[in-house]
Amino acid sequence: MRVLIVDDEMLARSILSEHLRQIADVEIVGEAANGFEAVKLVEQLAPDLVFLDIQMPKLSGFEVLELLGERAPAVIFTTAYDEYALRAFEVHAVDYLLKPVEPSRLVAALERARERLRAKLSVPSAAELALAARPPGRSLERVLIRHEGWIYVLPVDRIDFIEAQDDYLCFVTGGKRLRKQQTMSEIETQLDPTRFVRIHRSFLVNVERLARIDLYGKDSWLAILADGTKLPMSRAGHARLKALIG
Amino acid sequence: MHPILTRRVRLALYIAVWVVFGLLIAVVLAYGSGVQVVWALKFAVPLAVLLGMQSLSFWYLVQSMPPGTPLVRMALSWFGAGTVVLLIWLALAYGWAMWLQEPGQTYPDSAIGTIPLLVVAGAIGIVFAVLGHYLADAFQRSRAAERHALELQVHAREAELKSLRAQLDPHFLFNSLNSVAALIGQDAAAARQMCFLMAQFFRKSLTLAREQAIALSEEMALVETFLAIERVRFGERLRTRFDVAGEVRQMRVPPLILQPLVENAVHHGVAHLIEGGEVRIDARRRDGLLEIVIDNPCDPDRPPSRGAGVGIANVQARLETLYGNRASVDVDAADDRFRVSLLLPVEYEETDSTAPGIGTAHA
Repeated sequence: MRVLIVDDEMLARSILSEHLRQIADVEIVGEAANGFEAVKLVEQLAPDLVFLDIQMPKLSGFEVLELLGERAPAVIFTTAYDEYALRAFEVHAVDYLLKPVEPSRLVAALERARERLRAKLSVPSAAELALAARPPGRSLERVLIRHEGWIYVLPVDRIDFIEAQDDYLCFVTGGKRLRKQQTMSEIETQLDPTRFVRIHRSFLVNVERLARIDLYGKDSWLAILADGTKLPMSRAGHARLKALIG
Repeated sequence: MHPILTRRVRLALYIAVWVVFGLLIAVVLAYGSGVQVVWALKFAVPLAVLLGMQSLSFWYLVQSMPPGTPLVRMALSWFGAGTVVLLIWLALAYGWAMWLQEPGQTYPDSAIGTIPLLVVAGAIGIVFAVLGHYLADAFQRSRAAERHALELQVHAREAELKSLRAQLDPHFLFNSLNSVAALIGQDAAAARQMCFLMAQFFRKSLTLAREQAIALSEEMALVETFLAIERVRFGERLRTRFDVAGEVRQMRVPPLILQPLVENAVHHGVAHLIEGGEVRIDARRRDGLLEIVIDNPCDPDRPPSRGAGVGIANVQARLETLYGNRASVDVDAADDRFRVSLLLPVEYEETDSTAPGIGTAHA
């Protein structure tokens, strides 16, 4: 079994690898100290199993899974405190280990991983993972986007607007366009409805960026953003915006 | 709100007192001036209750002139108010007497003789009413003071409990234990050192929490132990810099007032940065106050965490309980830096006179 260890603390990685080295069929293929490294190494090394810390800088363990989507291997979460257990199982984790990890508990977790790998159980969809990665009852606070080999962690308040194109979305931020495979209705439900309004079938706009609204023709408007960008606005979109800002 | 009007029982009792006063006037009228007993009762009792109702307005005057108001001002105001109330009452008494008059019947000329008696009775009633209102006011004040003192104590206890609970942050404890477990295999001496640090930290927080105030140097020692433990965990990512002026080291601060803020700086600041960062603590005397600044870098892409806010609110509540508006907490949250500044009154161990008078001294 090829294993990757992800934890931002060096000592936490070293104790896990110390334990794992004593187990015959386990081969440690790499160690990552943060979420970005983890995403990169999973894609490069294609491990069978990842030991994934949950609280890490920049990207949490849950967010690493969201970015990996269908490429995510089997996962065993490791954390110091068990406030995440429920969410861990929602993302179909093999197991959930509390640090310091007891060797016997580790052996049991590995056994579950072997079973999982033998059964070749499918991993959940990226959308499901994204949902689980969000703290319950709260709107999305940042969007993870992989664009041309880069990973962007985009806080939602930096989004100017989102444009739907074919089967992906364009997140526009300060003139930059970042593409992500996602549907408009999906992102619309994830974002705070008081901050983002669907002004058109293809446009979801950050209300704070709106400068003014011009009447363009009968029943059609143009939304002018602070930076001068003009976006079409449908009748339904106009009604939705009016309902929000009056 | 008027204390007598807020409760029915009080109002009933108040009216009863005035009814008794009315009976006394009736007796004096009947036996002193030879008025008919039934008439005297019909006349005096309602009037006495009326005077009681008029006197209720004294409460507001008492509020505007609490005990300690200059005597001349008080005497003049009360004399004026009393006279006005008395004159109104006399006019009403006259009206009431006319009302009670049977058709076709007139009062004898001797009835004029009851006027001085009514003036005296009214004046006595008013004087007692004023005194009674001052008494009620004093009673209410002492009750309010008692409640305030109790509230302060509850606040102080709550703050203490909260800070104790913060000491037992489970992440901190379990992560530290994990570090120890890891070190045992690689570097037994370092593992042992880590155990010493943890023991020191928990022991210090427990003993310091019981004090009312400690020297800043003691608080700094606790903070340094905390950071030493976290440095084992975070390694190079956690850097620290202290700049504590020599003259402030012996100043007194509430125990565990910096620790939660430094903990925030690590767990909500440096821990979220891949390259880590520096936690800076500066303490100096500024404008006659003790200024302590905790400054740390943070991840601009991360929404401010609620945990950090709770820690700061807790510190704020404690300082307010202890010093009122003589202390302040100022939060400066830039995109990539977070800074909390505390301003505390300067206190030393000997000059304890400025210390707030709540809580009890500890051995």
